[in-house]
Formats: sequence, structure tokens, C-alpha cells
Amino acid sequence: MKNKPTGILFFPAFDWAISPTHPEREERLLYTRDQIFEEGIMDLPQISEYNPKLAQIKDIARAHFCVPDVAAQVTEAHLVSAGSTLVIADALMQGEIKNGFAIVRPPGHHSMTVSHGNRGFCNINNEAVMIEYLRQKYHIKRLAIVDTDVHHGDGTQDIFWHDPDVLFISFHQDGRTLYPGSGFMEERGGPLAYGTTINIPLPPRTTDIGIHFVLDNLVMPILEEFKPELIINSAGQDNHYTDPLADMRFSAQGYARLNEKLAPDIAVLEGGYSVETALPYVNMGIIMAMAGIDYGNLREPDYKPERFKESPQNMEEIKGIVKTQLNAFKNRGEIVARNRAKNMDFEVIHKNIFYDTDYISEDQTERLRLCKNCGGFRVIHSSAQHRNAKYYEVYCISVPGYCCDSCHQEGISMYNQMKNKSSYDFIYLQDRIDDQYRSFDISKETETVL
Amino acid sequence: MLIGIDVGGTFTDGVVYHRNQILNWAKEATDSDNLAHSLLAVLDKLLMDIQFDEIERIVLSTTLVTNLITTDSGPRTALILIPGYGLPFDSYDMAPDSFFLKGCIDFRGNELEAPDYNEINDMIRHLQEMDITRVAVAGKFANRNNSHERLVQHIFAEKFPQAQVIISSQTAQQLNFPRRAYTAYLTARTIEMWNDFLDSLLKALADREIKAPVHILKADGGTMPLDAARNSPCETIFSGPAASTMGGLAITTGESKNSVVLDIGGTTTDISLIIGGQPLHASKGAKINEQYTHVKSFAVRSIPLGGDSVLRVKGDSLQIGPDRVGPAACFGGGSATVTDAFNYIYDLDIGSVSDSRDKLQMVAVSLNIPLTDLCHQVIQVILERLKNAISAMFKEWEQEPAYKVWEVVNRKPFQLDRIIGIGAASQVIIPILGADMKIEHFLHHCSPIANALGSAVSRPTLTVHVHGDTQADLYTVEPGGKQGQLGKKRSWQLEDIKELASRHLEELALSSGLASYAREAQFFREEQFNVIRGWDRLGKMFEVGIQITPGFIEEFKGVTE
Repeated sequence: MKNKPTGILFFPAFDWAISPTHPEREERLLYTRDQIFEEGIMDLPQISEYNPKLAQIKDIARAHFCVPDVAAQVTEAHLVSAGSTLVIADALMQGEIKNGFAIVRPPGHHSMTVSHGNRGFCNINNEAVMIEYLRQKYHIKRLAIVDTDVHHGDGTQDIFWHDPDVLFISFHQDGRTLYPGSGFMEERGGPLAYGTTINIPLPPRTTDIGIHFVLDNLVMPILEEFKPELIINSAGQDNHYTDPLADMRFSAQGYARLNEKLAPDIAVLEGGYSVETALPYVNMGIIMAMAGIDYGNLREPDYKPERFKESPQNMEEIKGIVKTQLNAFKNRGEIVARNRAKNMDFEVIHKNIFYDTDYISEDQTERLRLCKNCGGFRVIHSSAQHRNAKYYEVYCISVPGYCCDSCHQEGISMYNQMKNKSSYDFIYLQDRIDDQYRSFDISKETETVL
Repeated sequence: MLIGIDVGGTFTDGVVYHRNQILNWAKEATDSDNLAHSLLAVLDKLLMDIQFDEIERIVLSTTLVTNLITTDSGPRTALILIPGYGLPFDSYDMAPDSFFLKGCIDFRGNELEAPDYNEINDMIRHLQEMDITRVAVAGKFANRNNSHERLVQHIFAEKFPQAQVIISSQTAQQLNFPRRAYTAYLTARTIEMWNDFLDSLLKALADREIKAPVHILKADGGTMPLDAARNSPCETIFSGPAASTMGGLAITTGESKNSVVLDIGGTTTDISLIIGGQPLHASKGAKINEQYTHVKSFAVRSIPLGGDSVLRVKGDSLQIGPDRVGPAACFGGGSATVTDAFNYIYDLDIGSVSDSRDKLQMVAVSLNIPLTDLCHQVIQVILERLKNAISAMFKEWEQEPAYKVWEVVNRKPFQLDRIIGIGAASQVIIPILGADMKIEHFLHHCSPIANALGSAVSRPTLTVHVHGDTQADLYTVEPGGKQGQLGKKRSWQLEDIKELASRHLEELALSSGLASYAREAQFFREEQFNVIRGWDRLGKMFEVGIQITPGFIEEFKGVTE
């Protein structure tokens, strides 16, 4: 284990942008390319470079309900970005590397279970696609995702909201002051997965000191107790003090130390739009920390440690958050047991989801089967008008890979019943137990099976 | 009339090519202590019955610099590094006499930390005391701004003029500081002995009253005029395998198949790939002594296995090679070799089959197995090793990184069409390997000396790379390490940078007597990025590469079979 290299997959997508001046543009990883190539870090024996490949449509369907279909939501760039995380996952599981970092774009952590378009620069959730792949191919059950992007990882949270075997921890700048305006402490997961979603909304201008306090006193103890088989870092880099879209005070050294402590098995790049003054240094820091290379000589040109003191007010607030969330995590079993005992069939949740990039407003009604034996399965009724003016009303049934036989059978029979409901455009079934992904086009009466 | 000489590890081969014909060829054992001697011996053999004034060009590929580097020979040389922020200094373990200086440049060429004059002066005094007069200076991002390297060079000229100082930005301009530093270090260390060798060669030619221009073969399969070669000894490393690859192409001219070229020599086999008629380059640059360099080279894999690899009994088992103790038994050698095993079992009728049998028999007796079992065992091992090496080459090729969506989408699996065999032992092994792999094989009557033919008929190559940054008002040109200001007078477009690159290539071609090839140049890299801050475009960044790719000179019209 010790002598294995760290796998790096660098895919800057130099020919993909949302628009020419958008933060997600060709230039984003240009200086990172310059820095890591000039350092020659890929030549070191501690590093093994991997090349990207395209994800299959089925890989996407395992994690998302794409409306109307996968092809409508993904470009080749998305397939390469998601596919690259699968390359790293394979390298890790086949024992070629001790850990791996996919420095890829486009990013994905704002992309939710149902995808009608682009939200927060994301169409496809790379981590979710990778996790479903790891579960299907390597039978991994328990995973932890630590989202270190400055924005709340609302997409990843939505996808694993009802999954008691995926611990999702996101620390981010407080949703009252930053997109997407969610990620508050009370968001702790669905009724049967309560406490395996942990949000840590940090006050603006939190520094290395505050973030490492959270890491040492909340994130690490929770991980210790949860005992995941794999830890994934959803590695956004916009907590950096020079990021133009956010207001935090994290440094490259801070990011490096974070990855040293967290010791993620896989890190996947998310946001970070300070393309010149942060990304080259933060990416180097993460690579060095994961590969066990001393990062003491790495720093930003203008970094002066004395400028980055945590304010007493911030520290006070952070200590409060840590205390509250540690308690919530400890009491999670009790609450799940109480919910399970409620003696009702389905818990119903209404949601409105806004797609800022594509300006789409989606209405959702989500129902979770409160199963006595497992985490239950869920159905989602979703409707939205797409940018091309087409209005879609779809019905999605999601059967998790680790659910009981009764949930599995009921999911399938529900899909077959719904095929006669003419009020919908599409009926979808994610059957992860049989690894089959069905989509039924009501008007054409045709079924697609992936 | 074109002459090519390839000084290899075991043999020195030479050919005279003229109008579709090999007029003359020669082969001599290489005297590794005196390469010039082996070279001239082959040259004198080739020159018999030839009118010297009909020689149009002489091309030489030599292992001299490779040997110097792999045997750690050369004067004591200091490597002065200016790494700035980033990896810890102990990652740069390239040279025993390494020194570190303050100073830091970033990827845009901005100075982040100034050099310290006192520190530079102290270091120079220290080198004076140690009497180290060969110096390489390398700074991180010196390819974007070489002012720190030039400052150190300048202070040396003032304080210690006896020192010969090479700066990394002049040896290479591509990104990758350790490769650039190591290339500069190897250049500083070998340049004097390389020039001594070239001088002795020129003198020998002058003694023979040969006035034809002399070119040196590079690792990228192209030639460079001798004068241009003086400053770049490292370009010649691995020119032997490049000669083989070009030889493989030369004997199969005009076909754009996917081939693997196997040069099976006395002690080693060099393997390279030809994809759609073009040799595959090593994306990371040539690797020597376990270190990558910035030397542009073909992707070549060498395995210690050749026709003369000796068969021995070690303990109870058979050991094949890795060394050679002399020619194969069938050619009068004292020990059984790989060639003898093929010769006997397939009745190849090479030299004396009975000598092959006798020596093999001795090995078989020691192993207490029948003679035919021994031969099959040897052949099995050889075929396995070659097949493993070939599939490792494919795997490496498939692992090449891609940085653009279209590169990933358009990637195609490699379909091997053909094995091209060259080298002394190819006639023996290649047909058997081809049959075993069920792939068409190609041999030519020139196969044994195709490496020398490849040298003789290769054309010059030249690569120019321009990096432009309109916001920083900077451009840099490789080769030569020229750095200058673009000027803010106009809005630079990709077309302008391409023209700049093209003009530099033409000037360079003209000054090295390669003007006629300049029109063959093709752009291989065209990248532009908008520099956006906020919602405004503040400038553009460009990366443009133009090159004369490996190929054959106009006089080459193929060789009749």
C-alpha cells in the first residue's frame, strides 16, 4: 500500500466552455497545467498519470434521471469528465494506486437526481456517477463524501439524501451569503437516513484555522465513527482567499493539510474560479499531500500567514456549529428508529428546484417508502419547462442497490403500472439491483433499456 | 550518392545509397573505447571504388553521448537550480554537485522573488575553490522569463570567466523544469567531448579530401547539420533506435500501415511503432539514467535480447543473455546463442549448422534435456519476451494523456498490420515471430543494415515553438530561447503568432542550410486562450508549434528489393 503511487488524471477540457467569458471556460485549468507540468510532478515515481475515457450512457443513468434522456443532458465533455473519475476508481480498486485525484472539468456537485439542465455550472454529478459505479462493479457499500467546495454540494446531497450508507459532509460558506442558498444545519438527510447528511455552514472570511478546527473536531471524529470503506473528497477550491465568486480565506497550504488529514481515497475537482492566483497552487498542494510529498515550500506569491487570523466572532460561531452537528450525528439512530416506527407508507416531500445556469424551474414531489427493513425506495414526480420551451412531466422510480426484496419488487411493479398513465411524458426506473435502467416514452409507447 | 553510418553498441554499420540501390555496405565490430576509429574503419571500407565528389551528404548516428551519460563520464559539472516555490528541493536529485539559489518566477513570467547577489557571488567563489568549470543553470519558469538565469551567467562571465555556463532556457523552452535542468546539465557535461569528437571527425574527412556536408542524426529521426549539432549533444541520444525506425520506414516506403519495427541486433532489440506511416514520438521526451529530458525522441523500448545473446546453464536452469561473448557458433563463435537455436531447429542454413548443433548440444547435456527441447525452450522464451515488449508498447501508447475533448472522442484502438524486421538477427527470428503472432511480417534484403540506410536518407527535422501572452506582453521562441515583447500596438490573433513561428522556422532553416525543407513545415499545435478577469478580456495566450516532420530527403526514391 505504502509504495503505490498516487493516480492523477488531468483533464482540463481545453476545448469546452459554458460561454466565452463564463468562469467555466477553457482558461480555467491553463495555469494549473503550466504549474504542474513545469514542476514535473507527473514524472516523479510517487505519481502515476492516467488518461481519460468516455463514461457510458448507462453509467450516467445509474445516478441520474435525465429528462428526456441522457443524450439530451450530456455533451461529450461531460462524458469525459465523468468517465475520468471511473478511470481513477478502477485504478484504485484494482490496486494500482494508493489514492487518486481526478482534476477534471466540467464539474458536477450541483447536479441533482433529476437533471433537466445545467445548475451551478453542472449537468452531471461526477462523484455520484463514480459512487454508483463503485457499488455496482466493486460492491462497495459504505462511502463518505466530504465536499470541500465553498458552495453547498446540494446536488450530491439530493442524490444521497435517503441513503444511510453514504455519509455526505459539506462545509461551505453560509447559504445566506452564497449560492445555492442551502446547506443549513437542519438539512440532515431523509427520514431513514437522518444524520448521514451533515452540513457545516461557515461564516464568511473563515480561515485555515477555522476550517481545520471543523476538520479536527467534527469531520474526522464523524468519519472515525461512520467507518466508510472509501472516502471521496469533492474537491472544490473556491474557499481560497482569492476566489472571485466567494468570500473565504483558505490557503493552498490549508488545502494541502486538509487532504493530508482527510486522506481521501479519491479526490475529484469541483469549483474554484481563481484560475491564476489559487488553482495552480491549490491543485499542486492537493497532489503533493495525497502523494505524501512535503508541501512546506508551496505557497501563493502573496501569502502572508499573519494576515490570516480567525476572528473571535467567527471562532465562537464555528465552535457552536461543531457542537450542534456532533450531537445531531450522535443522536441519528434514535431519530431514524422513530421515523421508521411512524407506521405510514410513504413520506412526501415537495420541492422547487431552480436551475440558475439554464433558468429552469422544476417542481418535484418526492415520496420515500418508509420500509421496515431497509432505507426504502423513492419515487419522484417532476415537471419543468426546458429552455427549448418543451414542458416535461416525468415519473421516476429509484431502487437503491442495497434495499430489501420487497422494495425491489414494489419498485418494478410501480413502474409497470405507471406505464399506462397518459398524464406523464416519461416513466423511468432505476433498478440498481438488476443494474437495469428503463425509460418508457408514453406518447410513442416505446421503452429503452440500458 | 548518400552515405549513412550508424555506430551502434555492438556493430558499426554503413551504407552508400545511390538511385534506388545500395552501392556498398560495411559492418565492423564497435570499439567502444574509440568510436571514431570504428566509424572511420567503416567509412574507409565504404569509400572504396567511390568518387568522393559524388558524395552529396554523410549522415552519422552515434552512441557517443549516450555512452558518456550512461557511464557517468565527463568533467565534474555543477547544476545550479533556481526552483522558487513548489516541490521541496530534495525532489531535484539529478546531479551530485547541485546548488540552490533564491529567486522565483511564475507561469506568466512575473518575478515573485528577486535573486540574491551575495548568494550568487558566494556560490561562484565556492565553485572556483572546488575548480569546477562546467556549469548548468536552470530556473523554474525560465522558459517564460530567463532574466535570473542570464543574470547568473553574466556574473559568472565577470567573476569566473573560465567557467563554461549553459542556461536551461537555451537548451529547451517547453514546460517541465526538472527535464530542462537535467538536459542543461547533460549538455554542460558532454559538450566538450562531443565537440572534440566532431573535430576529429572533420579532420579525418579533411585528410581524405571529402567535402560533402556532414549531418548528425537526432533522436527524433531527423538530421541536423554538424555545425548546428555542436551546441546540442543531447539531441543525439537514442539516435541509434531512431536510425532503426527510419530504416524500417525506408524499406517500406510509401505505405501508411500500422507497424512495429523490431531491430534485432547482437545484444539488444529496439522496438518502435509506426502509426499510419508516422513514427510514434515519446510524449514525455527521451529518458536516460532514469531521468526524463527535453530531448524529442521516438517512443522506443529496448530489451536486452539479441541474436548473439549467449545461452548458459546457471544452476539447473537455462539463462539467455543478457550479454554477448562473440558471434553465434554458426559463424565461428565459441558459445551457443539465440541465433544457433533458430538455425538448428528451423534448418535455416546460416553459416555452419553443425557448429550450431555442437555448441547447443553442450548446453543440452548440461541441462540433461534433448537438444530439440532446448531449442524449443529458447525459442519460446524469445517469442514471449518480444511479444510482452510489443504489448507493453501498445499499452504505453494507449495510456498517452489527452487534454481536449476531441482527442478523447477520436481515440482509436491500435490495430497492428505488420512487423518490420531489421538488424542482423531479424532474418532468423522475425518470420517465426510473425507466424506465432499471426501477423504479416516484412523483411528486405537490406534489413541487416537498414539502420545505416535510415541514417543515410533521413531528412532534417526542425521544430519551432512559440508561446505568446499579450497581457504580459511576452513571447518566447524555441529553439534558442529568444524572449521578447510582442508590442501592444495591435491586437494579436492566432494567425499572427503562427506567422511569427513560421518566420522563425524559415530563418532558422536558412541559417542552417535547410531552406529547401522549410516549405514542408506543418503546424502541429495551435492553442489560444482568452485571459478573462471579471467579464473583460484582458489578453490572449497562444501556444503554437510548427515542425518539419521526420521523412526522407528528395534524393531518396526507395530501394529495389
